[in-house]
Amino acid sequence: MNLATVIDWNALGKVVLYSLAAGIGVPAVYAVAVLGAGRSVDAQRGGRGVLATVLALVAFVGGAACLGAIAYGIYLLTQKS
Amino acid sequence: MDSDVLLVIVVATALAFDFTNGFHDTANVVATAISTRAVPPRVAVLFASILNFVGAFVSLKVAATVASGIVDPDQITMTIVFAGLVGAIAWNLATWYFGLPSSSSHALIGGLVGSTVAAAGTGAVDGNGLLSKVIVPALIAPVLAFVVAGVAILVIYAIVGRMRPGPVTRGFRLGQLGSGGLLALSHGTNDAQKTMGIITLALVANGNISADNFHVPDWVVISSASAIALGTYIGGWRIIRTMGSRIIKMDSAQGFSSQSAGAVVILASSHFGYPLSTTHVINGGIMGAGAAKRLSAVRWGVAGNIVAAWILTLPAAAAGGALVYGLTRIFGTGATGPVVVLAAIVLGATALFGRRYREAMTPA
Repeated sequence: MNLATVIDWNALGKVVLYSLAAGIGVPAVYAVAVLGAGRSVDAQRGGRGVLATVLALVAFVGGAACLGAIAYGIYLLTQKS
Repeated sequence: MDSDVLLVIVVATALAFDFTNGFHDTANVVATAISTRAVPPRVAVLFASILNFVGAFVSLKVAATVASGIVDPDQITMTIVFAGLVGAIAWNLATWYFGLPSSSSHALIGGLVGSTVAAAGTGAVDGNGLLSKVIVPALIAPVLAFVVAGVAILVIYAIVGRMRPGPVTRGFRLGQLGSGGLLALSHGTNDAQKTMGIITLALVANGNISADNFHVPDWVVISSASAIALGTYIGGWRIIRTMGSRIIKMDSAQGFSSQSAGAVVILASSHFGYPLSTTHVINGGIMGAGAAKRLSAVRWGVAGNIVAAWILTLPAAAAGGALVYGLTRIFGTGATGPVVVLAAIVLGATALFGRRYREAMTPA
């Protein structure tokens, strides 16, 4: 039995690649959203309204991107091929 | 008539196995969210139960692997499926009683392989399928979850490390609603499909489905989803009552990264039809998130248990499946053997539960 030919390395490689991309990428983007939300509150308290709005927007876009990535991932899973 | 009785027994046994799978695994799925106080326990259990149910409908590729990628469906009889299931249940009961590590998923596949070899020889087992779709992914997936969670938490700390703890904790507790939900969904996707695969294999053996026109009937999907969701829900009440020091301490960012890692590895593997031990993957993620912060935070005993479970479960459950097949065939090929064996298992399980209960009630 030759491991090199028996194992579908292409499929296993994709599992590793998708897991690394989604498992690190989505938490990283979410961390940016948390950072944006926290800094936005600080900027608001410091009277820097424009900066607070920009940071709040960063938080919103980051959160929305994470939700979008999850929804896209589930959509891919439900596809038969 | 005999074959219909046998089919009912096999389906009921498979659904019972599915129920116990959910019952056992609730802790894995909800413990992280509860320990970081992201979600109240009752809500976490209800949430996990519903998403386990929904997850079972996401994909059927793991069911296809179990039903047609490990053993030759044309050589499978319902007695073989029954013996494999009972071998797995017996192994799970024995490991539970003696406190040994195990994996329901590996036990199920081991039991099926063992009973198939006993009945039809090694030729009926697809060795390449077993190696490429079960053994190698089972080795890679927990390590992958460990690495993904470890790198993710380092990236998270690099981004939010200079913030005050309050907003970070609140932010990642909110994030855990998403990551915890995804983890429950992934658990339902991978684990419920194993039962779907076993029931479908029994339907092929009974002639209800052609092996050439393989498909999983809707009633199989719905009943498997319901059994695992019910098991998760009922198992959850036990967890709520006994919650305490057994759940490891971690911050909400670690909880978020470990849940995300577990969920993506299980979902990506499910997409390619790999039946995994979800327990091993989830624990791999938890240990990765812990190790990245502090090596001593990792419960290395749990890691040792996982390795022991890898080594023990497949061959032991296979031996159990083969033994049960032999016992069943003493009574011929009809329904008598399975009825007698099932009665013996129910009696044995009741005796074990009774003994454990008496031990728990007896003052030390």
